Amino acid sequence: MRSLTLSHVARSFGDAVAVRDISLTVPAGATFGLLGPNGAGKTTTMRMILGILAPDRGEIAWNGAPIDAAARMRFGYLPEERGLYGKLRVRDQIAYFGRLHGLRRPHDLESAQRWIDELGLDAYARLPCGELSKGNQQKVQFACAVVHAPELVILDEPFSGLDPANADVILHALRGLHAGGTTLILSTHQMWQIEELCDTFCIIADGTVRTSGTLDELRASWPSRRIEVEPDVPALRRVLDELPELHPSPMRTGNGVPSALAYDLPAGADVSAILRRLVAAGSVTRFERIEPSLQEIYARTTGDAP
Amino acid sequence: MNRIGIIFAAEFLRRIRSRPFLIGTVLGTASIMLTAVLPLVLSGVPNGTTRVVLVGDRTLTAAVKALIADDYTTVDRLPHIDGRPTVEFLKAHHDAADVVILTRARDGLRAKVYARDPSSFGYAFGRDVGPLQVALATGLLVGDIKHHVIVPVSVRDAAGRFANVSSAKAAKGVAFLFIILLYVAILINAQVIMSSVAEEKTSRIAELLVATVDPAQLLTAKVLASGVTGLIQLLVWVLFGALSSKIVVALAPHADAITHPSTASAISISPGEIAAFFAFFVIGYAQYSVLYAAAASLITRTEDLGAVAGPVLIPVLTGFIVAEFAVAYPENPWIVACSQVPLLAPFVMFSRIATSDVPAWQIASSLTINLAAAVAFALLAGRVYRVGLLLYGRLPNLRQVVTALRS
Repeated sequence: MRSLTLSHVARSFGDAVAVRDISLTVPAGATFGLLGPNGAGKTTTMRMILGILAPDRGEIAWNGAPIDAAARMRFGYLPEERGLYGKLRVRDQIAYFGRLHGLRRPHDLESAQRWIDELGLDAYARLPCGELSKGNQQKVQFACAVVHAPELVILDEPFSGLDPANADVILHALRGLHAGGTTLILSTHQMWQIEELCDTFCIIADGTVRTSGTLDELRASWPSRRIEVEPDVPALRRVLDELPELHPSPMRTGNGVPSALAYDLPAGADVSAILRRLVAAGSVTRFERIEPSLQEIYARTTGDAP
Repeated sequence: MNRIGIIFAAEFLRRIRSRPFLIGTVLGTASIMLTAVLPLVLSGVPNGTTRVVLVGDRTLTAAVKALIADDYTTVDRLPHIDGRPTVEFLKAHHDAADVVILTRARDGLRAKVYARDPSSFGYAFGRDVGPLQVALATGLLVGDIKHHVIVPVSVRDAAGRFANVSSAKAAKGVAFLFIILLYVAILINAQVIMSSVAEEKTSRIAELLVATVDPAQLLTAKVLASGVTGLIQLLVWVLFGALSSKIVVALAPHADAITHPSTASAISISPGEIAAFFAFFVIGYAQYSVLYAAAASLITRTEDLGAVAGPVLIPVLTGFIVAEFAVAYPENPWIVACSQVPLLAPFVMFSRIATSDVPAWQIASSLTINLAAAVAFALLAGRVYRVGLLLYGRLPNLRQVVTALRS
């Protein structure tokens, strides 16, 4: 089974613990969202997967075997901090990274050209990278990460600094890679993009895994739900306040609207009974049981909730 | 092609096509050709001598004028002057450099000099007027004394290496020139590595590279690429220098080494010295380039480059300065010791080889010690480089680097 597994991986820098204990599995072909606040240990984890840093303890395996130089040749990496050779031309730069990952001539240039076309960089192909806009430079760097058709691509904040149009180009390219069976690991703070793109998620904080799984699995294991009720009138509010298992929700995301009453309740609570009591108390124009969003799960898991 | 080869090819092409390399090669070649040709050009120009004003009685100043004619041009003779001569006084008297006031004392001649530049007056004056001093004391004729005060001295090289004093002096001149070449070549190429590493670090491309390539491979490829371009540049310089010397010899076929030092230069550099020159370039470059690369890997901002370049510049400068002394004192025990010390030896040992007969065991031990040091520096620098590439933020101090190396 082609997959990436991390077993009890840890890494410190002197007295500072970056990764305390992380175990996770990324199935082959998955699009895996690695989430966590700044300093959670995401970048260190990615660097350990790529062999840039060695773990202090624990094991990392690709296809069941420790990751060696040959395996790393089949990986692609887009680091959070972007960098290119400013004087090297776009096509040559992409081809160079292709060669570093084992592409031979002329396949390096052919593959570079394919990605230049895919990312809409044709007009800049002969220009030195230093002359490109920041967005186009990011697209070039993305091409450098994927030019060799890697089995696994790790992308650290792939959308940061991109305008919506360029973000869509990258999103489209990522979907294409996913469709082709490439395993993707993404780290980003832009939840709507990662929720749309990824099929599996892992939320880490303080160097440990807080929760992981598909969005449905994360929701299934989530202990509470939210209901939103309209209109926001005293009669309906009184009913909701009298129910001991309900608590006013701090979240106003997803379908939340300012004029609605929002309450959290246990996942297994009888929503029909609540609705019946509300209808008996007054006119209800909207009653909605809302599943937690990824943003909500992330915020509450990492203690970042408002 | 393996990854070292791929990076080597890319770095080599980048360097060889770069403007600094092309400009450096052309300007360096022009400078060396000029250095080779200049002595021939200057030999056709009459020597300028120091212009002096002589003050004293007519007989005395006339006798002195005749005696100093080879070294000084007497622009004026005055019986006396009022007070102390000033710079304005010198300018007013044919822009003279010095005023020499001559007086007779009970035991002979006295000269008091007022010079614009006291350091440049030298000992030639006293030597030139020596016969007059003897004549005044003995009553003999100056002309007779002059013939007897110079003892013909014939100097031969005990090792049979140099034909005469001039060729030995010329060898020192050549050694001096080659030490400058060595210094420039090592410094330039080590700094090329430094700026290349700094570019990758500050542009954040380093992380992308080390995700694909082992840092040791990356460093090896960079050092090799810059080393090869440095060797090419040196070869061009040396070839054109040799060609220029040949041309000079052809243009002045009857010139001997005394009148044309450049012709002596053309014949006094042996293939062994050329081999030593390239060998010590390779060793010196290997030692310095890895240290420069390690230093550059620690910076995050280009502005910090100066802070890390300073400490690694000190040994290069020290080596260069000691090598200059080694030209004059190649057998001094301290110089001999320095010719074995890593970082200094590439300059100092070459300097000794070019100017004296260094025992073979000393050359062999220097090569062994310095090759071993180059390997040790590469291993140490490789570790710093590996850690440094991922260190971002403020420039780390030594303790932080050691902590990072341990972790």
